Amino acid sequence: MKSWLFPIIQTAVVVILLVSYYAASWFGEQYVLRAEPFDPFDPFYGEYVMLQYPDLQTSSVTDDSSVYFTLKNGDDGYAVIDRIDNESFFGAIEGSVYGGSVTAPQLEQFYVEQGLGPQLESAQNLQVTIDVSSWGTIRPINLQERSE
Amino acid sequence: MDTEQKLKQWQQAGLLDQETAEQILAFEKRQPAPKKLPLLLMIGLIFFSLAIFSFIAANWQAIPDLAKVLLMLALMWLFYSIAHFSEKKTFGSPLLFRVIGLAMFGATLLVAAQTFHFPLANSALPWAMFLAALAHFFYWKNLIYSVIGFLFGAAVLISFLPDIGWLEWGIFIAIAIAWFYFSKSFAPVAFSWILLFASGFMLWGLVDYDSSLWPIWTLFALVLLLLIAPEHKQRMIRPLYLLAAGMLLAAYLAVRGQTFISIIDASHMAEAIALAIAGVGVLVLCFFKFRSLMWIAIAGSIGLLLFDETAIGLAVVAELSALAYLIIAQRQNEPLGLGFVYFIVVQFVIYIIYAWDRLDMSLFFLIGALLLFLLSAIAWWINRRKEGVKL
Repeated sequence: MKSWLFPIIQTAVVVILLVSYYAASWFGEQYVLRAEPFDPFDPFYGEYVMLQYPDLQTSSVTDDSSVYFTLKNGDDGYAVIDRIDNESFFGAIEGSVYGGSVTAPQLEQFYVEQGLGPQLESAQNLQVTIDVSSWGTIRPINLQERSE
Repeated sequence: MDTEQKLKQWQQAGLLDQETAEQILAFEKRQPAPKKLPLLLMIGLIFFSLAIFSFIAANWQAIPDLAKVLLMLALMWLFYSIAHFSEKKTFGSPLLFRVIGLAMFGATLLVAAQTFHFPLANSALPWAMFLAALAHFFYWKNLIYSVIGFLFGAAVLISFLPDIGWLEWGIFIAIAIAWFYFSKSFAPVAFSWILLFASGFMLWGLVDYDSSLWPIWTLFALVLLLLIAPEHKQRMIRPLYLLAAGMLLAAYLAVRGQTFISIIDASHMAEAIALAIAGVGVLVLCFFKFRSLMWIAIAGSIGLLLFDETAIGLAVVAELSALAYLIIAQRQNEPLGLGFVYFIVVQFVIYIIYAWDRLDMSLFFLIGALLLFLLSAIAWWINRRKEGVKL
């Protein structure tokens, strides 16, 4: 009977993982970010698009491997940085700053359908929809071309 | 050929008497006939599963996020269930099904990672597989799980880079030590030891102080592991220590002698001296406890020897230690194989360092080949003498 313990525990691990992602949607807010692509493909996980965010800029913190920030919806409907700090605070997303651009590990890449990467990369103008939980975890929902 | 025909032949040749032949025949008839799946059924099943998989693959993007993960989970459960019943009813190979089940767990995590856009530098997946493989290993005690555990343990270490925290590193080491401590056979003990040794390399990322000597410190720290190991386990892993020490000495010699990487400067003097003192400590400990490991104390001198830019000191130490090891091992009738490989490696590292720039290319390879022949001839000769052949 003990041998069933393994699939049960392993299922529990997967369920916890899934719940932690869905929780961002259940107890969080949705933002749409303006995004630009660069350099796709990972042989292990599949095809993805690396993303950078023109709206997520800071002048108060320059080049730091760990910063903490929150988002708010800007006037044009795309999210911008609300508060950014070197110290952790509740609800903050943990990320990094390089050359004034802010990003988070969860925002850096988006997995796409095989073959779609080059098309999205050449599109240049993209938008990403994400759910951010009230304790700072992110669930990326959608990546699509931006109509402006 | 048929058993009956064979028996008749043997009987005619006078190898068997009538009675024995009949007994054998009766015994063979009582054996259950091997169950075979009809070939066409097997081919049909393969095509059917290919059809299912290609159907899923073609519609992969249309499947909702959650359903994708649940599909992989269902496959995992399917294989664990088959394993369970194959063990109960003794058909097929429960081990194989369970390994596939474990692989499906990995596949589930991969699909979750892709569906929910995990960050690339994420160690959750290798961690989960590492722990699951170890749990399988301790429950079913099969070598294959220790191989899987080793591979994913290495993946955990790699996933630590570039940002590594003390806590995660400490937990990894605690788990690797537990694996080492509770394993009995050679493979898992060696695997856990290698992971422990490799986690010492992570100190380059953990500590702000820039040292080139972390691998030697790690090797010395691992000597403490022998204190908790029973006698038979000590004997099992002894070659690993000697091997690691030999490789380190040859590697530092090659780096110092052949490259222009500045690996040490005046600010490291205190560390080099501390390492030499630690080396003396290891020497004393090994003298009283594990005498055959005293050789690894030589690595303690590497720090100080690195300050010499010509690498002559390192070369002399490597050469003398190789020779001394061989002579002593031969006198004590111990295996010489590894000692010889080390000896030959040292000769070639020294040869490349001091001859590469000074010789014409073709001459370099010609002399190198002759050197290799000469060394192999010596090895062969010593081995012959050891086996007691009179000359």
